[in-house]
Amino acid sequence: MSRYRRRRIVNRAMEGVATVAAMLAVGVLAIVVVSVALRGAGALSWEFFTKSQALFGQPGGGIANAIVGTVLLVTLAAAMALPVGVLTAVYLTEFAPRRVAVPIQVVLDVLAGLPTIVLGIFVYALFVIGHTQSGLAGAFALAIIMLPLVARATQEVLLLVPATLREASLALGVRRWRTVLGIILPSSVGGILTGTVLAVARAAGETAPLLFTSSIFANTVQTDVTKALPNIPVLIFTYSEQADPALHEQAWAAALVLMAFVLVASVAAKALLARSRRKLAG
Amino acid sequence: MRTSFQEELDVLESTLQEEGALVLRALRGALNALEQRDEELADEVIAFDDDVDRRYLEIEERIPSLLARQTPVATDLRLVLAILHVNLHLERMADYCVTIAKLAKLAPEVDPPARLIEGFEEMGSRCEEMIRVALDSLRDRNLEGAESLVELDELVDRANRRVVHHLLELGADPELREYGLRMVVISRALERIGDHAVDIGEQTAYLLTAEFREFTDASHPTPREA
Amino acid sequence: MTGTFTMAPVIDVAQARKEAEPVQREVVFDIKGLTVTYGRLTAISDVDLEVYRNVITAVIGPSGCGKSTFIRCLNRMNDLVPGARIDGRIMYHDEDLYGPGVDPVEVRRRIGMVFQKANPFPKSIYDNVAWGPRVLGMKKDLDERVEKALHDAALWDDVKDRLKKNALALSGGQQQRLCIARAIAVEPDVLLLDEPASALDPIATSAIEELMHELKRDYTLVIVTHNMQQAARVADLTAFFSLEVDDSRRTGVLVEYDLTEKIFTNPSDKRTEDYVTGRFG
Repeated sequence: MSRYRRRRIVNRAMEGVATVAAMLAVGVLAIVVVSVALRGAGALSWEFFTKSQALFGQPGGGIANAIVGTVLLVTLAAAMALPVGVLTAVYLTEFAPRRVAVPIQVVLDVLAGLPTIVLGIFVYALFVIGHTQSGLAGAFALAIIMLPLVARATQEVLLLVPATLREASLALGVRRWRTVLGIILPSSVGGILTGTVLAVARAAGETAPLLFTSSIFANTVQTDVTKALPNIPVLIFTYSEQADPALHEQAWAAALVLMAFVLVASVAAKALLARSRRKLAG
Repeated sequence: MRTSFQEELDVLESTLQEEGALVLRALRGALNALEQRDEELADEVIAFDDDVDRRYLEIEERIPSLLARQTPVATDLRLVLAILHVNLHLERMADYCVTIAKLAKLAPEVDPPARLIEGFEEMGSRCEEMIRVALDSLRDRNLEGAESLVELDELVDRANRRVVHHLLELGADPELREYGLRMVVISRALERIGDHAVDIGEQTAYLLTAEFREFTDASHPTPREA
Repeated sequence: MTGTFTMAPVIDVAQARKEAEPVQREVVFDIKGLTVTYGRLTAISDVDLEVYRNVITAVIGPSGCGKSTFIRCLNRMNDLVPGARIDGRIMYHDEDLYGPGVDPVEVRRRIGMVFQKANPFPKSIYDNVAWGPRVLGMKKDLDERVEKALHDAALWDDVKDRLKKNALALSGGQQQRLCIARAIAVEPDVLLLDEPASALDPIATSAIEELMHELKRDYTLVIVTHNMQQAARVADLTAFFSLEVDDSRRTGVLVEYDLTEKIFTNPSDKRTEDYVTGRFG
């Protein structure tokens, strides 16, 4: 057959292969979402969200205490990770000389890829051995996970700020740090928030670190952070090991809640980033 | 927009008008010196030519600078070129006034005949009128005014021919011949002043129409009306 | 004056006449032997120049001749370029600009800069102008200060009813005037303009040039432009930089520095003549 026709056929075939692959990827997510939804939807109820775990053997109950605990853990982790992450990114983009910036960048990348179970053991050894499990320890582990995510997102937005804006501010006779505070950071708020939201979504679902630091908890709402805090991922894990099928269903429902939260957070983050990009571009 | 450029143009034009006013003053002075046989007045007219020359040089020096720095185009360009030419015509007119004054100083051997004086006065005041019309037409951007200078010049030319006629009669007397020749030069000077005024009108027409026309052409004279 | 003739009216326009170029003016920058190198590349070499007060000085020349490098030495913006080395001496009002103990930040407060592409902050119009003074401790009468700066930049009438609107919504020419307002709000002594109108259309350019004529009453202006005609229209003094090629090494040098009128009617150096007549460079 002519070369032209063969090229056309090959082209079409490649298009087809690429489309199928994309469909597969979408399909996997769809399957996960749908199966979790199907298995867990049944257990969703007002009681599910407002009541704490039922006593052993008792029917009913909900995951209210786990929700509260996860919120607390994640908020604490964000409070620790956000300032450090943002300031690290600021240092890297605005102040650090190249010789210093490159190694720090490498460290951040390694930290981002660290297996979370290793982090869990580390924090366990640091804070839990010799004391008790605590929400603080759990939050600390989560913060370490969030840190490189926040830093990277912040870096990306800081780099988006045009050099001419920095020049303009410096040419006015404004000091470097004041330029960062007054011009560069405010322009980057959208991106920083996006990075934080994504990091929070990630941290909310991390199980391994919490297994070591905040897994032995009562079935009531707990707000004392020096004690172990109930949380959704560990709850899913423990419920799935029980024999009671009602608890299994609750585990699926909890998984559905977590997934919904991650989905909403991702969409919100994308919207935030788009808005902040529009603002910068005028 | 370009206010400093506009100011420069305005100053250039007003300097030109100043120069024109000085030329009028010189002409009137020269005529009076001639008619009243006033030597002191003639000397003053000769001295005042410096005032005209000063303005002439000022304009000559400013124009290259203006062209280089502001790169005028369209009407602005034509205005600058017109000013350049008119400047030259005014300076020549002033030189003719000096010529008249110098000749007026030379003591006349006889009382000038009345007809001669009348003739010169007629030519002189026509010229004054022409200069005023020329300067005003330029200032007011008046095309008709500029074009009317041709007819006025016709009157000056006729007066010139009458004066020459009188002078030819004088030439019969040998003692008056030198005097007669001097008077012919004066008459010629006045006639040239008129021509320069017409030239100024031509520059005004160029400024307004972007076309350069000679109103009258010496080599292609229009048939003389009786 | 004697005589019995009537005097034709002579108009006195001595007031309207521009004063002749003053010879004795205060020196703002005294530059000697200025050489700037980036690593092994010499951008400009051995520049001697004096900049005078309340005068517009233009720097012209072909691309790459070091005009921007030169102007950025005057407010120490070259300090921000890694590897830039400045030799020679720049005296600013009898003080060594690069002397030990001189704070570059303080230098930049007194010597402001407007850039080629307008770069207003992503803030409101008011905040763009007010931010500098606020941050630098000039908090008193901020409203008046902003209004005056916008007036002086010929922008007040355009924006007085929408001070809170985002600055990025303005047109290019207005944004550039806003940048000028922002720069003069901190009351500098000198204003450096690096090709301020090259990104603007002819009408906006004309507006900026008019503005510069007004600004030179209160400030000393140095402008870099690749548009010769602009330098001719705007500047009192013009410095012509060109490239010297010395076995494949190109360096910027100052060729001629004189009254604009002289540069454009009768330049002394043939290189200048070739450049301004468009024959070369």
